[in-house]
Amino acid sequence: MVICIPRFNVYIPKDVSDALNALSQRKDLIPMGGGSDLLVLIRSGIVKADTVLDLWPLRKELAYIKRENGTVRIGALTTVSELCESDLIKDVRYAGLADVCKKFSTPFIRNIATVGGNVGAAHPLSDIALMLLVLNGKVKLLSKNGEREVNIAKFFKGKRRTVRNHDEIIAEVSFTETPPNSSTAFIKFDRRWGHAMGYVLVGAYMQLRDNIIKDVRIAFDSTGNPYPERVWTTEEFLKGKEFSDELIKQALNNVLPKEMKRITDYRASAEYRLDLSKVLLRRALLKIKSRIEGGG
Amino acid sequence: MSVIPREEWDKYPDIEITLNVNGKDYKVKVKPYERLLDVLRYKLGFTGVKEGCGRGECGACVVLMDGKLVPSCLVLAVRANGSKVLTVEGLAPEGKLHAIQKALLDTYAVQCGFCFPGVILAIKALLDRNPNPTDEEIKDALSGQLCRCGSYLRFIKAVKLAAQYIREGKEYFDESGARG
Amino acid sequence: MSELPEYVRIVEEIFDKYKDKEFLYVGKRIQRWDAVEKIKGRVLFTADFAKYYRNAVFVYSVRTKYAHAKIKSIDISEAQRYPGVLRVITAKDIPGVNDVGYVIPDQPLLVSDKARYIGDIVALIVAEDPNVAKEAGELIKVDYEKLPVITDPLQVIDLRTLKEKEHPLIHEERGSDVVAHFKIRKGDVRKAFDEADVVVEGEYSTPFQEHAYMEPEAAIALPEADGGVTIIATTQCPFDVRKAVAKVLGVTQNKVRVIVPAVGGGFGGKEDVANELGAKAALAALMTGRPAVVIHSREESMIGHSKRHPMKAWYRHAAKRDGTLLGVEANIVFDTGAYASLGPFVAWRATVHATGPYRVEAARVDTLSVYTNNVYAGAFRGFGCPQVTFAIESQMDALAEELGMDPVDLRLKNILREGDRTVHGQLLTRDHGVGLEEAILKAVETSRWYEKRKLFSKQVGTLRKGIGIALLWHGNSIGVEGADYSSATLIINRDGSITFRVGLIDMGQGSQWGMVLIASEILGVPPSYFRVEQPDTAATPDSGPTVASRSTVMGGAAVVNAAYKLRQRLNKVASTLLGCDPDDVEIKAPDVYCRSNPEKKVSWSDVVEQSFWLGIPLQEFGYFRAPPAEWDEETGQGAPYITYTFGAIIAEVTVDLETGGVKVDRMVTAYDIGKVINRVGAELHAEGGAIQGLGYALMEEVVHNKDAYVMNANLSTYYIPTIHDVPDEIIPIFVEAKYRRGPFGAKGLGEPSINGIAPAIVNAVSHATGLRFHSIPLTPEKIYMALKKAGKTLF
Repeated sequence: MVICIPRFNVYIPKDVSDALNALSQRKDLIPMGGGSDLLVLIRSGIVKADTVLDLWPLRKELAYIKRENGTVRIGALTTVSELCESDLIKDVRYAGLADVCKKFSTPFIRNIATVGGNVGAAHPLSDIALMLLVLNGKVKLLSKNGEREVNIAKFFKGKRRTVRNHDEIIAEVSFTETPPNSSTAFIKFDRRWGHAMGYVLVGAYMQLRDNIIKDVRIAFDSTGNPYPERVWTTEEFLKGKEFSDELIKQALNNVLPKEMKRITDYRASAEYRLDLSKVLLRRALLKIKSRIEGGG
Repeated sequence: MSVIPREEWDKYPDIEITLNVNGKDYKVKVKPYERLLDVLRYKLGFTGVKEGCGRGECGACVVLMDGKLVPSCLVLAVRANGSKVLTVEGLAPEGKLHAIQKALLDTYAVQCGFCFPGVILAIKALLDRNPNPTDEEIKDALSGQLCRCGSYLRFIKAVKLAAQYIREGKEYFDESGARG
Repeated sequence: MSELPEYVRIVEEIFDKYKDKEFLYVGKRIQRWDAVEKIKGRVLFTADFAKYYRNAVFVYSVRTKYAHAKIKSIDISEAQRYPGVLRVITAKDIPGVNDVGYVIPDQPLLVSDKARYIGDIVALIVAEDPNVAKEAGELIKVDYEKLPVITDPLQVIDLRTLKEKEHPLIHEERGSDVVAHFKIRKGDVRKAFDEADVVVEGEYSTPFQEHAYMEPEAAIALPEADGGVTIIATTQCPFDVRKAVAKVLGVTQNKVRVIVPAVGGGFGGKEDVANELGAKAALAALMTGRPAVVIHSREESMIGHSKRHPMKAWYRHAAKRDGTLLGVEANIVFDTGAYASLGPFVAWRATVHATGPYRVEAARVDTLSVYTNNVYAGAFRGFGCPQVTFAIESQMDALAEELGMDPVDLRLKNILREGDRTVHGQLLTRDHGVGLEEAILKAVETSRWYEKRKLFSKQVGTLRKGIGIALLWHGNSIGVEGADYSSATLIINRDGSITFRVGLIDMGQGSQWGMVLIASEILGVPPSYFRVEQPDTAATPDSGPTVASRSTVMGGAAVVNAAYKLRQRLNKVASTLLGCDPDDVEIKAPDVYCRSNPEKKVSWSDVVEQSFWLGIPLQEFGYFRAPPAEWDEETGQGAPYITYTFGAIIAEVTVDLETGGVKVDRMVTAYDIGKVINRVGAELHAEGGAIQGLGYALMEEVVHNKDAYVMNANLSTYYIPTIHDVPDEIIPIFVEAKYRRGPFGAKGLGEPSINGIAPAIVNAVSHATGLRFHSIPLTPEKIYMALKKAGKTLF
């Protein structure tokens, strides 16, 4: 070995209950899904790991996509590739997830990155978390003492911080199947087309009936906090009104800027990010409308 | 990185894993933090696996693990325990070139060659599930394979040519016939 | 002219002889010698050799915490005691001279009193386990006194007055942070501007660009019995590494041997950093008596090797109403970062090319290279030319707009043609080969310029297409920068196989193959008879550095000399076997015959065997030296380069007016390279240069924060083009205006292939948007904000 990552130990659990037991007993364990994020954080010294709890062996229990009783359940250790190869994303209602699949990192990262890991990363650029926000998703947390479900809108506490307790693992994400006359879209834009981080990420869900916006949910990579969040006021403004370019422009010009605070960093200015947020949201809503109307 | 006192060193035990690399079984002792990349390169000698970034950002180190394209720099060796790994060295039998390799030669795509092992395996992963990809599908499949010499346009041509060879039943070619 | 050295006469004789001949190998598409091994994953790059050394030690570099700080003390005692650490090396342990500076000795290998950028190394830790070495790095205690950090070269120099400002000196020992100042003074500039009908003026800026070769730096050193050392290293300049390491070790150069295996890309970035890696490995190997391995991680690579110089420039062009250029003025500032590296040479080349490939009767150019606390800047494909070409070609388009002229027509009015003099007063003769006009016309025709230029001007809607042009020129080889020589060895073995040795390395560009094709053509032997031996200072001759697009031109000319002499002897031997005049002998290995009697044949191996029996040596050393360049330091007059490569680039883009996003649809690149030698290599250069130039134009930029830390030192935040970002089509066109002193007329292409890409793309974006841009990378944000300012956006 010549170039290395810092030394750490690995706990390889036999099954879910072994993993939960270990977590409840050892404060030093850091759960790892695919490792595509955590191993880079350890390499960079951002995370100091004593012992990594490798969740990969739990894939026999926690890698699945189930659609039953009007609910979609995705096991936390399902890889992004598995999600992208599933029938779920062929459903026009979840076309936004198919958009994610085109833009999520690179094919080989998608083969190891997990759905639970992406949500647990709690990063503004967590593509899947963003879509779960607009799908009104829930995160199931398991511990030795039982399980609880948290609405994903209440899951993030800060950059790389969530409400998950140390003794819990993310076991599943789920959402209620959306109605037939609805669809989703996801757009990431950056100056590089392939393998991009995104200056702005937007995800949206919309239900249209007779061109009336019955329901809409919109999430951005950031609206002020360093994690993905919904723009509730913009959603409320749009809801119940007739879909038109004029309406969207009003929402974008008059409502969205009031609930979105963008940052300037070395990649882009706040002003550009805000304007781009508007452009991309408009495109996302138009895309959804076209999808609902059968335009793909 | 924190400093580790001597007395704590042996808390990183040697773990014996088994790997099947390019059809051959290996038993090898690894540290818990050791990457599959390092085991393949420095313990087993498969230096066709290249390290370009160590962060899963360049695609030089990808291998096929149980048929899936993975960055060997982000796969812990212990996780690879019991798996079947294919590196570029195992793509074609001795003295033979795989159709993908032949197509890359036929399109004169080779420059520095550092990204090629990864590119070749990414193409293999694509053609294994999609025998007749479009330009867009090729670009998607190779979107993580960075090539700084700039052979990208030739990769697209080569994938199509390789797909054609394979469809025609020509999976392997003689190595000697490919030389200049 | 009768005083011409023999090696020049031979190149000219071969040129004349082959001028109208059909070539067998030269200019053909022939699979390079290492393609199969590379494609099989068998070729070993430097780091790969580490698998063979079981008792190797690993060297970890402890770098400074602050970009600019006085170092009051370095305490290594705790690190030295850390279990597993074999040795800690600091500046005071260096037996020779603690310096790895390339052009001027300003760069310590290990800093002891001052840190000037975040890559500076305070100590080396040697251990068997790289983890141990890295962990022990935490125990190196350095007492720093922080100094103010300078990240903007305009904190050092005023762009308009070119006066050095009051600022904390980065290099106190030099008394000034201006490293170099080059000038052109030609004609009456004031008169030109006074009499001009039109004047256009602009300030331009270009970014730090990272080479991002896929193979990070590496070196492995093996201690030798006599106190010497053998180094395997990824470098473009094995003989420079040898020189630098010998200096650090305090030994003679013959005690240092440098071997260069396959190199995973260089682009100029593997020139001087290899001196540092070689020296680090050599010190560790000699101090421990064991093989020592140094491999930079990607993050280390990105902060620890040279970058392309950022440029700030102010330009002013004067022209007549009919488009005739009257004069050019330019103030150019290059940020060379913390160390000079090749900065002075880069600034010089930029100065030479600062007015573009145009007839300019009056010019004033001042180019300054200054220190900052940024990562040091050095050689990068193009070497100062991409920066100034961006400014000049933007100016030309601005001028065309001002005059209401088509950008192509304006350029055709002013370009250099045969018989013209360059801005330096250098007369361009037929012997130089001046094919710029032909390149422009071919690019214009292939791209359907006039038609598209008109068509794209009438678009409406969100997506707008644009088409833009840029011209370029590039002085071949190194000019007055240094001793411009090369050499090559050809050995015909007893079985007729041929050993090829040249000290110029192949970093992927395939130039060694071009040289083999030259030898093949002259000897009459297929390339498959050759084995290319990788550069090794113990075996291959010193051919100078692999830089400045000089391999084919300079190395090729040395090969011409070696092959010519061997061919003379072989012809003589064959003539005795065949019974004809030596000049009548035709070699088409495996056959050898007389043109007057092609039926009677002997075999190549017979001729070789006969030569051995007759005592005719079949090894030859070829040497070539470029005719001396001339440069007047005060006026910039003379003949700075032996000849020039010319080119015309036409780019087509689509711009998304709502986001500012740009997609490059198509590029036509027309280059006058004298004579295509290695056709595949030339085409790959045209494509690869275009893609790297696209990155430079649209996305690439190493960003320093105010403390001079690099914000994007990895490949997910430092963007280079992916396969999704490349144009649908890159069409390479080659024009052959032959250079009489190049092999078969060849000129260089390695670097020119990036010079004109960025301005062509930016000019195309300007065409699409109707707005002018002055800085690259031209990000979506810059385009969007300009559109917004012009009231052309959606919201």
